[in-house]
Amino acid sequence: MTFIWQGVREAFSMLLHPTPDLLSILRVTLELVLWATVLAMLIGLPIGLVLGLGRFRTRRVWLGLANGGLGLPPVVVGLFVALLLFQSGPFGGLHLIYTVRGMVIAQTILALPIVIALTATSVQAIDPALLQQAGALGASRWRLGGFALREARIGVFVAAMAAMGASLSEVGAVVLVGGNLEGETRTMAGAILTSLSGGYYAEGIALGILLLGLTFLLAAALTVVQHGSRSAPTSSVRYLSTARR
Amino acid sequence: MSALLTCRSVRARQGDTEVLRGVDLELRRGEVAVLIGPNGAGKSTLLAVAAGLLPTSAGAVERGGRVAAAMQKPALARRTALANVELAISWWEGRRRGGRDDRRERAMSALAAVNASQLAGRPAGSLSGGEARRVHLARVLAVEPDILLLDEPFAGLDPSTRADLLYDTASAIRSERRATLVVVHDRAEAWALADRVLVMTRGRIDAQGSPRQVFEHPPTEEVAEFVGFTGTLDEGDSVLRLRPSDVELDPAGPISAEVLRRVPLEDGVRLDLSTPKGRLVTVAPEPAPEVGTVTRLRVTGGVRFPSERAPAPDDPASALLSGADGSRTGTPASRQEAGR
Repeated sequence: MTFIWQGVREAFSMLLHPTPDLLSILRVTLELVLWATVLAMLIGLPIGLVLGLGRFRTRRVWLGLANGGLGLPPVVVGLFVALLLFQSGPFGGLHLIYTVRGMVIAQTILALPIVIALTATSVQAIDPALLQQAGALGASRWRLGGFALREARIGVFVAAMAAMGASLSEVGAVVLVGGNLEGETRTMAGAILTSLSGGYYAEGIALGILLLGLTFLLAAALTVVQHGSRSAPTSSVRYLSTARR
Repeated sequence: MSALLTCRSVRARQGDTEVLRGVDLELRRGEVAVLIGPNGAGKSTLLAVAAGLLPTSAGAVERGGRVAAAMQKPALARRTALANVELAISWWEGRRRGGRDDRRERAMSALAAVNASQLAGRPAGSLSGGEARRVHLARVLAVEPDILLLDEPFAGLDPSTRADLLYDTASAIRSERRATLVVVHDRAEAWALADRVLVMTRGRIDAQGSPRQVFEHPPTEEVAEFVGFTGTLDEGDSVLRLRPSDVELDPAGPISAEVLRRVPLEDGVRLDLSTPKGRLVTVAPEPAPEVGTVTRLRVTGGVRFPSERAPAPDDPASALLSGADGSRTGTPASRQEAGR
């Protein structure tokens, strides 16, 4: 039990007196989470939208693949990405192995099925009558897509949260592709792994507490953004309150 | 009046089923046409085809302007009523859309047209069924289409909400610049809304004309049945179709009938009657005969159609049902005015 308390104390101490190493780990982690989430959302949202709204023959196959992708083993993804990015691999010339960019690629691949599957599911849950009505009032495909995303915003928000959570906590693929290099590609999860394998349990616990804190902080930030977009008075309500004065 | 929407021999399928089987329809500027028919007749399919939401399998649809349709379900987006109407305007106008203030003004006047101004700031999720239908209607009125299509705008409402919305709709949809087609189920709604009634059965338009023409003189037995001529008397070479109001209990009447069923109503009792030549329905004041009682009646109206089977020369129906002069019109949709 002593080492747990020691870990908690050390976590607070690390927070109060952050070392350059810790700051580097935090920076790499946030960079990875941000880029992987943004890329997964940018690529995954349109694909999820097409799979959710489209009516084409291979749609179920693609949906099945996206759902299957939710269970992609990170280590296997990391292995394949690493093999592709190794100096001797087909993309070795890009010099992405053991870089944060390489880690972002691996992490985006892992987050992509999450975004696609959750977006498609939430878009499919929109009342078909509403989409048909939009069509009956002349909405173009682009406007229909934008409208569907807005109507499915809670599902889209969950997709962003899940993609972010996966990026924060993932170890296998990130370590394989990034190499867990101190000061360069070491993330929080990678640092915890290193601490525990070196027997520095208190440090591992401290990093774990920090990672949890970071997760909740980012989730809270996203929730505030989402809640803000729901509770902020719409322009029509503002108009009405002005008109009534 | 120029035709804004023309359907020529239109056929359409829903899956493997051919739902429209050669529909001819002309909708003229300034008129409100009401489409009625039994469930499964193809009314909503015709509306979807007219709106361009469903392809035809044969025939042609010509539109002389832009079409806006209010589908059967009043599905609203998760925002305020006013924002829903504004959204409809921005869908309609696409890239050519005007300023936000203009949209708001139009949205508010459309809500006002259906007596829904007070709903403007309410979230769609908090609206009752009748309120949602008003916003749904305002949405299509706000876009000011050349051709307006409404699919059962009063479906699923309680009678008083339905009546309120019906009267508001009747005045809101009238426009000299627009052609309007409304699908309804109820004859009373058709009376309130229609310049012209179209009756659709089994994928075709079987009757059209003014409400009085169609409801008083239906051209076919099927249409007669749908518009309320539910009683049947087989006269051999012709069939007389009768509404409940065409049948009167009369101890001195020429027809003997057994009461099969009694259903109490607000203004009397509905009686299902069995005669040797067919079943009739009437509404009688209390005290009305009990089930199993044999009573006598006379018919005071009805519409006569030629029978599909050849008349038998000694058919007792002749004696039972022919008029005082023994005449029979034998003409479809002829009205039997003389009391019997």
